[in-house]
Amino acid sequence: MNEKTAQERMEQLEWYITKHCLWQYNSRGWDREMQNEHILGKTKQLLCGENARKEDTYADRYYWCEAKTLVEAFKKYFPWLNEMDKKDIATVIHLLKEKMDYTMIKGSLNQELTKEKY
Amino acid sequence: MPYHQFDCSVCIPERLKHAVDKGEGEQLTDALPLGYLNTIPGTISERGCAYCGAKHVIGTPMKDVIHISHGPVGCTYDTWQTKRYISDNGCFQLKYTFASDMKEANVVFGAEKMLKKNIIEAFKAFPNIKRMTIYQTCASALIGDDINAIAEEVMEDMPDVRIFVCNSPGFAGPSQSGGHHKINLAWINQMVGTVEPEIYSKRVINYVGEYNIQGDQEIMKDYFHRMGIQVLSTFTGNGRFDDLCAMHRAHLNVLECARSAEYICDELRVRYGIPRMDIDGFGFEAISDSLLKIGYFFGIEDKARQIIKEETERWKPELDWYAARLKGKKVCLWPGGSKLWHWAHSIHAEMGVEVVSVYTKFGHQGDMEKGISRCEPGALAIDDPNELESLEAMYKLKPDIIFTGKRPGEVAKKIRVPYLNAHGYHNGPYKGYEGWVRFARDIYNAIYSPIHKLSFLDISKDEIPTDRSFATQRTFSDGILSDEIKNSTELRQCTSKYDPIPDLRVKSYKFPDPETGIEKEIPADKIARKNSGTV
Repeated sequence: MNEKTAQERMEQLEWYITKHCLWQYNSRGWDREMQNEHILGKTKQLLCGENARKEDTYADRYYWCEAKTLVEAFKKYFPWLNEMDKKDIATVIHLLKEKMDYTMIKGSLNQELTKEKY
Repeated sequence: MPYHQFDCSVCIPERLKHAVDKGEGEQLTDALPLGYLNTIPGTISERGCAYCGAKHVIGTPMKDVIHISHGPVGCTYDTWQTKRYISDNGCFQLKYTFASDMKEANVVFGAEKMLKKNIIEAFKAFPNIKRMTIYQTCASALIGDDINAIAEEVMEDMPDVRIFVCNSPGFAGPSQSGGHHKINLAWINQMVGTVEPEIYSKRVINYVGEYNIQGDQEIMKDYFHRMGIQVLSTFTGNGRFDDLCAMHRAHLNVLECARSAEYICDELRVRYGIPRMDIDGFGFEAISDSLLKIGYFFGIEDKARQIIKEETERWKPELDWYAARLKGKKVCLWPGGSKLWHWAHSIHAEMGVEVVSVYTKFGHQGDMEKGISRCEPGALAIDDPNELESLEAMYKLKPDIIFTGKRPGEVAKKIRVPYLNAHGYHNGPYKGYEGWVRFARDIYNAIYSPIHKLSFLDISKDEIPTDRSFATQRTFSDGILSDEIKNSTELRQCTSKYDPIPDLRVKSYKFPDPETGIEKEIPADKIARKNSGTV
């Protein structure tokens, strides 16, 4: 998969998340980092057929079920995912995580992200 | 995504950064309206105050509570017929409103004695209500009345009652949102963890940021109950006082309106390890995703899929009837806070309408991030618009309808733009699959009502058509439809009952026992339960 294709596919996944998901919008920057890290991390694991359930806690279960639902929708909207190998999937999700971190945290103009308390 | 300059606000330069046009290919990182800032003096904002946000939005939907304002009687005006957060105990919280009725003499001499007398009088007048919330107002805050001390005194004298005090005077924030914040934190600090609840299912959630507008909570609760999930508390629509004191015992917080209630979810996550799961109760796909997500959390995704299948089969042909007739209609999506993002994508994707503008009165920048992301390029996003800006936007964008509150809604009517009440609804509930069809029906009725065609005519100067004596909505809506759609036997208009809620209130459901997992039927009266503190 070349860079252009990877970029285009990442943008399609990003489009789905911006139109359908809410988990990326927690009100603090550190909170958004955690959400992106855990949910997109588990999304990649699920898409690559890896174990995405690390511990039996409510928190881990929550991240897993967000990822599980996301993967189901991704596969429905983007059939090309079913034909990609694990390495390419990992590349696209890595690009997606970088883009989400930038849009939602590092490049965000939301002035509330740096407040300490909820 | 450049900032949008309103002609009417050139003289108020601070307003420039409160509105942006969403351009093709532009990102949230290019421009984002400012939000949650003090209203600029002179801009005729339509916001509420922090007392209103605490009491009228979040506190008062609690159903088994005497809600009393310690202040002038005028502060209590938002009661019966202005709010529509109904409840299954006869809407006690809407029918009765209480104020200590402070006057000038109280401002000079203090109002604590009068407040105590009023509290006792209210409890005696309603012996079946054993819970109370007291809301500070600007007047009582400025004179420094110690409401907490009075509440303690009463609870000592009357041991069977409990009182929650919310110190959120009108001036305690830029808008009602400041009050949402204050009451969220006051509730978790003072009340959560003080009651141990009865748990009758192995799957337990708090349903948070849901206010039961015309029965929204009861529609969604039906889905949760069909999945065997106990709704321990609802924060706060149709919610019981004591259940809300026991929020710490849930396994999951399911959050709808993050704008008004994310704070308590975030604190419950930090203090008690209960995850926060944001969901959308509006739109077929969004509800389905939400139910599935909750299903995965509890390992019951098969139950979620069953509900999704049944409800979609039942209601989708009705949604599609309206979608065929609403395609391409222009909408200004101008609610107060969260609905700009709950609705922006779903109404476009499922009803085919074009969102030409989103605005929020009291939302924060986070709400704008969601709203702008979910609407399509070309939309105008405005934070806390003043009345002249709203008018300018409507003249320029020429929407077919706006979804907003009753104050700006009446302004829209004056310039002959139909409006739907996005806060209290017209003929809700709008949540759930059935509710979404009801919403589509209301949009259709508003846009195609023949009265709007008549209202555009000025009999003093316009030519009045005489070739057509009678017109219906269908006359206007079906003209350009294909025969296939017009004559479809599959699509049909809304068949929802006038009020679908009473049927839900008598249903019983099966829940898995928390110890054994064996399913047991729980009767409707146990699910609804009595007023807190009564036997």
